[in-house]
Amino acid sequence: MPEGANLGYWRLETNQKQRSIFAKVYSRFSLRGLIFFVAAAGFFCFSVLPVVYMAASSFVSEQGAFSPENYKELLSFDARRRALLLNSAALGLGAACLSTLIGVPLGFLLARAEFTFKRLWRFVLVVPLVIPPYIFALAWVLMLGKPAPEITYSLFGAIIVLGLCFYPLPMLAAEAALRQVDRRMEEAALLAAPPFRVFRRITMPLIAPVVSAVFLIVFVLSVAEFGVPGLLRVRVFTTEVFTAFAALYDIGAATALAVPASFVTLVAAIFAAKLLGEKTLIGRRKHLAAANSTRGNFRFALLAGACVVLFAAVLLPILTLSFEAFAVRSLSKIVLDSGAAIANSLLLSAIGAGLVVIISVILGYTRSRAKTNRRWLADVVFLVIFAVPSTVVGVGIIGLWNRGGLETIYTSQAIIVVGYLARFTPVAALIFGGIVRQIPYSIEEAAAISGANWLRIFGRIVLPNMKNGIAGVWLIIFIFTFGELGTTLLVAPPGETTLPVRIYTLIANTPPSEVAALALLQISVILLPLAFLILWRKPKKKTA
Amino acid sequence: MAKTEEKDRVKRANYLSLAGVSKSFGGRAILKEISFQVAMGESVVLLGPSGCGKTTLLRMIAGLETPDAGEIHLDGECVAAPGANLVAPHRRQIGFVFQDLALWAHFTVEGNLQFVLSSQKVPRSEQTGSIVEMLDLVRMQGFAKNYPAELSGGEQQRVALARALIGGPRLLLLDEPFSSLDANLRGELRDELIAIQKRLGITTVSVTHDEEEAEVLADRIVKLREGAIESVTVVKPDKV
Repeated sequence: MPEGANLGYWRLETNQKQRSIFAKVYSRFSLRGLIFFVAAAGFFCFSVLPVVYMAASSFVSEQGAFSPENYKELLSFDARRRALLLNSAALGLGAACLSTLIGVPLGFLLARAEFTFKRLWRFVLVVPLVIPPYIFALAWVLMLGKPAPEITYSLFGAIIVLGLCFYPLPMLAAEAALRQVDRRMEEAALLAAPPFRVFRRITMPLIAPVVSAVFLIVFVLSVAEFGVPGLLRVRVFTTEVFTAFAALYDIGAATALAVPASFVTLVAAIFAAKLLGEKTLIGRRKHLAAANSTRGNFRFALLAGACVVLFAAVLLPILTLSFEAFAVRSLSKIVLDSGAAIANSLLLSAIGAGLVVIISVILGYTRSRAKTNRRWLADVVFLVIFAVPSTVVGVGIIGLWNRGGLETIYTSQAIIVVGYLARFTPVAALIFGGIVRQIPYSIEEAAAISGANWLRIFGRIVLPNMKNGIAGVWLIIFIFTFGELGTTLLVAPPGETTLPVRIYTLIANTPPSEVAALALLQISVILLPLAFLILWRKPKKKTA
Repeated sequence: MAKTEEKDRVKRANYLSLAGVSKSFGGRAILKEISFQVAMGESVVLLGPSGCGKTTLLRMIAGLETPDAGEIHLDGECVAAPGANLVAPHRRQIGFVFQDLALWAHFTVEGNLQFVLSSQKVPRSEQTGSIVEMLDLVRMQGFAKNYPAELSGGEQQRVALARALIGGPRLLLLDEPFSSLDANLRGELRDELIAIQKRLGITTVSVTHDEEEAEVLADRIVKLREGAIESVTVVKPDKV
């Protein structure tokens, strides 16, 4: 081979090598990387750091030195702690079982049966999920009346209330999973076996991972719930953390108390993330006739069940609150007295939801498009942070932000927004992860081939494809923040309050009728935009 | 005696019979008065471009769709009438190889076959023997414990065929059975399918848009265009 040709080859190779190294370095500091870095830093500061701070401070003694003192006490595992752990576990398991037992058959009804006003049914059946759980607890207490029977303030009562609050989660998950089951797999089985056997052996195993994951998520949410056990006087970890902090101002003890529950939720969250893997809970509904749909008596039984659930979980609480609210003397006075709290709640929730969406859309996108098979680890982090009890997050935020230089934020309403960011960024990122997974990567590749840079692809291709999802997530987060209690109760500066905090504090020292009226007001603020979102879209025509 | 023989002959000639079968979706007519017969042991191929209604026809024969008009008879029994499936899919004893195979991802190869056998209440003791025999037939010995995701495209195809055959079907339906395979593998599997068909003498209705494939597989080709029969061509006169 002539020398020149050889040299030429070498030069070409070196150029390619240089270019590829340059490309690598460039891509590491690309705009995409920078935007992700900012979002991840925001997530770390707002959501992760308070939890890390709490975990670290549990090792610090009152004198400020490293000490395992708090854990020595914890490890002694006395009767009080045993009872706490048992109560928390029983509340989580009970609520998860009850909500799954109610939710899965309803999901089956929505996915596999045809009936009139289906869209309306889905909407009203989802209502309990968007009403803050403590309002259910309030309705439960008012419904059972005075003198309160034993069941009012009991673990059993808390399980029923939480089970009825959370059943829409397994319902929606089962519906989405059932719609995503490959219709051909069921059809292939229908050629060999009758429908019920096909459901039991083919359909159920295919949706089992999603149903189990949601079971664990409900378990985690119930263990982390503060409002319901707080109101129903059930002593669990979340209420004890609140007491340890609010009454005794003992951060170390408060954290150490939270550790067993946090450990249980961590394990549950890892299992849930592994079970879900790359599956998504947010299925686009296919307008295909299901292969194994339900008819006749079974459908009738499911519809009757749906009516019972609707009555117990939606109508009864709202009717109870309405009945109480009728006794109120001056509705306008109550609304005026709480005017500031209502305005605060609306404004802060809107801002909070907006900021959560901005950060989480980047996190969710990066998680779904990451080229690694460890993506589920991101889900675990999101789930675990989301599962941290609201009171623990609140204490962590106070510890972290109550220091020199940060007073402007700490002493203003901004700290409430920080609380919202801490609590709801992870769940929004999880949802966005699912939404992005549904957008075929090929549309981004096509844009890249046509010469668009990442920002342009993200702005012009990815985001427009997610616009309904973004609006939906904003609304979901708005609803969550509007009902947030545990964290806000702790971090809200003196004189600044939100509607949930006002209701919760009024329960103790105000006539029930006024509290009921406020609770109804809160429900209607949540339900009106949701009803608009769900019902305004006309169902598409069915095609073959 | 002669009368019985004649009756039997007619019955064998009209083993599968479609009479005036029509189907519309969303107001669009997909199939318009389709009528043809398939004789016992015969292999008929429905040939036509995409969207001409071939798959819908196959699904109606299987009982996965109901005809809007017309009747379908199988072995002398009316299985489908307008708007009604008179015989449920699992009672028709039909083997179906789907275009995307539709193997049950949560079962092993053995599990996929076993599901069919236990659905037909075949005693457990007999199941193992049947499965071994069937895997032998499709040359998939040694893959019993594998999950579908662990198999190549051709291997999955063989499992789908085994699953369709293991219940001892009266009729085998194949929906674009080789569309997802490369040319070499397609030829190989086609030959194997013909050999298996011959060996079992099973009545087969296949769907394809590939003329060459149709000519190899078919005793008779029914050409469809825009939901209606365009022509019927006899490929192997000795068999028809």
